[in-house]
Amino acid sequence: MGETFLELKGIKKSFGGVKALRGVDLTVNKGEIHCLAGENGCGKSTLIKVISGAHAADEGEVRIEGKLMQNFSPIDAIRMGVQVIYQDFAIFPNLTVAENIAMNRALESGRKRMDWKESRKLAVGAMEQIGARIDPDALVERLSVAHKQMVAICRAILGEARLLILDEPTTALTAKEVESLFAVLKKLKAKGIAIMIVTHKIDEIFEIADRLTILRNGENAASGDIGEFDRPAFIKHMTGREILETKYRPENPDREEILRVEGLTRRGAFENVSFALNRGDVLGITGLLGSGRGEIGEALFGLAPAESGRIFLHGKEIRIRSVGDAAAHRFAYVPEDRLTQGLFLERSISDNIAAASVRSYFRHGRLQHGAIYDAAVGWIRKISIAAPSPAPPARTLSGGNQQKVVIAKWLNTDPALLILNGPTVGVDVGAKADIHQLLHQLAQNGVGVIVISDDLSELVQNCNQIILMRAGRIGLELESAETDEAALSGMLNGKVQKEGS
Amino acid sequence: MGRFLTRKNLTRNEMLVVYIIAALSLMIGAVNSAFFSMGTVIDTARSMLVTVIFALCEMAIIISGGIDVSFPAIACFSLYSTIAFMNAYHIDSVAFAFFFSGFLGLLWGALNAILIAKFRIPALIATLGTSSLASGAILVISGGKEISMIPPSVDALSQQFLFSVTNASGVKSSLTVFILLPAALCLLFHFVLRHTMFGRGIYAIGGDADAARIAGFNVFRTQCILYMAAGLIIGIAAITHAILMRNANPSNLMGSEMMVIAAVVIGGTRITGGHGSVVGTVLGVLLITLVSNNLIMLNVPNYWQTFAVGLIIVIGTSITSLRAKRIALSPKI
Amino acid sequence: MLALFGIALGIIVIMAFADPAFLKGSNFRSMAFQCPEFGILSFGMMLCMISGGIDLSLVGAANLSGIVAAVVILSTGGSPGSIAAGTAAALLVGAVCGLFNGYLIGQLQIPAMLVTLCGGQLFTGLGMAITKGPAITGLPEQILVLSNGTVGGVLPYAMLLFILIALALGFLLKSTVYGQHLCLMGSNPTASRYSGINNLHVTLLTYMISGILAAVSGILILSHYGSAKSDYGMSYTLLSLLIVVLGGVAPAGGRGRVSCVALSAVILQLISSAFNVLRFNSFVKTFVWGLLLVVVMVAQSVIQKEAYRFLNIRRKNYEKNHQQA
Repeated sequence: MGETFLELKGIKKSFGGVKALRGVDLTVNKGEIHCLAGENGCGKSTLIKVISGAHAADEGEVRIEGKLMQNFSPIDAIRMGVQVIYQDFAIFPNLTVAENIAMNRALESGRKRMDWKESRKLAVGAMEQIGARIDPDALVERLSVAHKQMVAICRAILGEARLLILDEPTTALTAKEVESLFAVLKKLKAKGIAIMIVTHKIDEIFEIADRLTILRNGENAASGDIGEFDRPAFIKHMTGREILETKYRPENPDREEILRVEGLTRRGAFENVSFALNRGDVLGITGLLGSGRGEIGEALFGLAPAESGRIFLHGKEIRIRSVGDAAAHRFAYVPEDRLTQGLFLERSISDNIAAASVRSYFRHGRLQHGAIYDAAVGWIRKISIAAPSPAPPARTLSGGNQQKVVIAKWLNTDPALLILNGPTVGVDVGAKADIHQLLHQLAQNGVGVIVISDDLSELVQNCNQIILMRAGRIGLELESAETDEAALSGMLNGKVQKEGS
Repeated sequence: MGRFLTRKNLTRNEMLVVYIIAALSLMIGAVNSAFFSMGTVIDTARSMLVTVIFALCEMAIIISGGIDVSFPAIACFSLYSTIAFMNAYHIDSVAFAFFFSGFLGLLWGALNAILIAKFRIPALIATLGTSSLASGAILVISGGKEISMIPPSVDALSQQFLFSVTNASGVKSSLTVFILLPAALCLLFHFVLRHTMFGRGIYAIGGDADAARIAGFNVFRTQCILYMAAGLIIGIAAITHAILMRNANPSNLMGSEMMVIAAVVIGGTRITGGHGSVVGTVLGVLLITLVSNNLIMLNVPNYWQTFAVGLIIVIGTSITSLRAKRIALSPKI
Repeated sequence: MLALFGIALGIIVIMAFADPAFLKGSNFRSMAFQCPEFGILSFGMMLCMISGGIDLSLVGAANLSGIVAAVVILSTGGSPGSIAAGTAAALLVGAVCGLFNGYLIGQLQIPAMLVTLCGGQLFTGLGMAITKGPAITGLPEQILVLSNGTVGGVLPYAMLLFILIALALGFLLKSTVYGQHLCLMGSNPTASRYSGINNLHVTLLTYMISGILAAVSGILILSHYGSAKSDYGMSYTLLSLLIVVLGGVAPAGGRGRVSCVALSAVILQLISSAFNVLRFNSFVKTFVWGLLLVVVMVAQSVIQKEAYRFLNIRRKNYEKNHQQA
């Protein structure tokens, strides 16, 4: 560990009356991997924007290598060596790998001519530094997400990054790719580069971090060397609660079968998946990315149907070949990315809530807008959506409330089966608890509920059955009663085998 | 040669166009053996001349993520105004003709630049507006009538040829010296697009305009220069057209935007932006020109020609769009 | 909406001063005859724009429909029955043109601009192939009734048709499942797919209706001139785009009101008639349409920016006054 590179003191930042940061301190040293952890909505993203110069802090100090930074822009931050790699990478799909990597250098040098040989040399050099094996002449649009991320990292190192900030870098990576990434980060660390990883994944933090800072509700909850923390303490700092012993258990389980799948297969996605969902169950499906967990949900909802296998609803066999089929059987799907897949941002909340059930409001030869409005008002009250009325457009709501609107949209269809993919990503603590309670109620009332998530504590506390997917097949099936988050994480990463399996 | 003959290269979009051109040539040649002659090459080159210049400008604009349907109107305006002005003031200078026409084109290009780069108006709508402005203006000025009198030294250029060939039936085909213009522009465009940061910026903006901004490209400046340069070149192409046609017609270029855009898209430039090459564009123009010039040869009656060309355009652009989609959905490496 | 009314009134007032001939009943009558031709076309453009696309092939489809109608009428004897058959044929042609566009856009996912630009060429070309060049004439007299006749001597049939179609479309957009799905798809096609809406059906239906509306316009043009040609109304494409943009339809899709577009069509008709009364030639009209399009788009862009700035300033002031410790 070297000297301090970045020092933040008392950073405060508000947006329109909402206090995102309430006085945060942070130090990052050279040659260290520092994790910035916290639940969704704790202020991590805002802090990154302050460090990178995208937002100016309302109060507090930012010092880079001892120098006080005031009113600085992103370009100033880049010049001081701060490079952020965001989740969408900001690279050009229609240009080659080499061109993307060397792009910023070429622009900065102010040269008018494009030197292809030089760019290629620089790119190959950068890739060698981190051990990436990508064809420098390939077009980026053909790369996997993991390789795109490598390209973004190479570009940052070429820009002589001294502090590399990665925002949730492992969201779209498979286990092997995560390992490659960590190997790369360790190489960079050895060169004295300071690295900050923003994440909420506890296991990864324990694997890679030297020091960490935990935020909660915009304030420092804890910080220090990784050795000072253990899992329970960690969770306590992140959530502000003791580890909940409460796990969801269905009352009066009458074991009536709602959904059964046998041998579902789709090449390249999942193979021979079979499970059953009974009345009162909340089924959790997890697995690393690429394990097929998300693809099962898409298959059940008809977005990317299975090629073979059978599906039974209440004991009767059904075929799901398209979204239309799924909707006809009253399946509902709350997607991963609510902004692009779930919401109509410019339309009103009531339009959003009615979007999947428009047909049911066509009575007496016309669309009953009054009934739609009333229904929306009802849902706003029932699941506590923080909106004055159903009239404002959906984009005015916070993440948690937006997610509630998407859920309301599907609840309004009176579904038989509700599949949720990442239901509480980017949702604040309060809304998260509301949503979980809602899911319990639904299950109790006979709606089949499947939760696909990588948030292990969410699964352990809210599902009574958990399926762990590995490389497209079911790896493990267990009752949440028999396990806890730590064990689950171990199983996920293949380090521990369940007894007797 | 071995390095060229890879599967990837042989199935590239440009190669497909080459195959189609070859097949088409064989078909035409089968009906009319006189097709395979230097005379045909010269005549085809002559037909393509101005279209290639338009296509190069359109290609660059589409690569940047925009589109321009105003170039025929800008061209009509520039060429007519220049000739009319020169006649009215008895100016007889070749240099003046080119400068003035180019300048007028530049002004119209600047209007496009302001609308698109500054006011962020969608390029299609902005250039539709400009098109109406320019064509309306020149029709009012001209009263819809063409000018047949071209200043002598300017007109003399139309009689300058590089070389001529005479075919078996004694018909002489001469290659106008103006062929050097699109040839030079092809080299220029290729150089700028591939070997200058400005050109790479055009691709970058077409790929992801926000990422381009973040990376440090001056998107506003690049777009302005692009549309204005296009206007300038269109003005020059316009006066060239007038010289070669030996008259100044205020409206006969109108309606050619369809063909040019189709040629550009068939040549591999994606309408969504970010992709495109000079070679592909030239091949696309060659294909479209061969088709429209030789439908008669293939016994397609006059009144079917618009439909036939339209059909080919629909098929060609569908194929290239589908290929682009397939690439987007293919498994990632 | 109010702004549009104001503009309409303003134009009438200005023209009243410029040339009183404008206020003559016969002038208003002739306006009411012409407006529906491009007005109905604009409705087609509006629907396609709301869906997130555009239809540049409307004029081509209209002419083709008119030509087919003429051919059918002439070849079946020219009786009132043939006129009915011709009309039906025209509507069918319009629907097929629309389905062609819709399929390429919805299923093959080729950008609407490219598809309809090429499609327009195709339809016009087909029309040319059928007429072999010159206009088709020799149609029975009754054909002229639609575009040139009136109800009770006051309201032209064409205008009545325009109003009926406007009402029907308004109902379609506001009170049918399709209308709601259309707005949702135009707003976010990914989310609409994920919400169980069949995007392909919506797209096909949209362009089909647009094609049928183009056919209606083609029939009106046929009725107006008593002949069919492959290049009537070439300026109508720009005009309908202008009407739709002026009427507040967002080029990005998801929004649009029939009443505003209808009123916008009326305004453009007023301007067009004003030019006739003032004896401007048609070239000036082309210039002015282009100018108006540019001015309206710039104005909308500036107003939007100012609105955001204004709202931001108001919000900052609110925060300043309500600052909590």
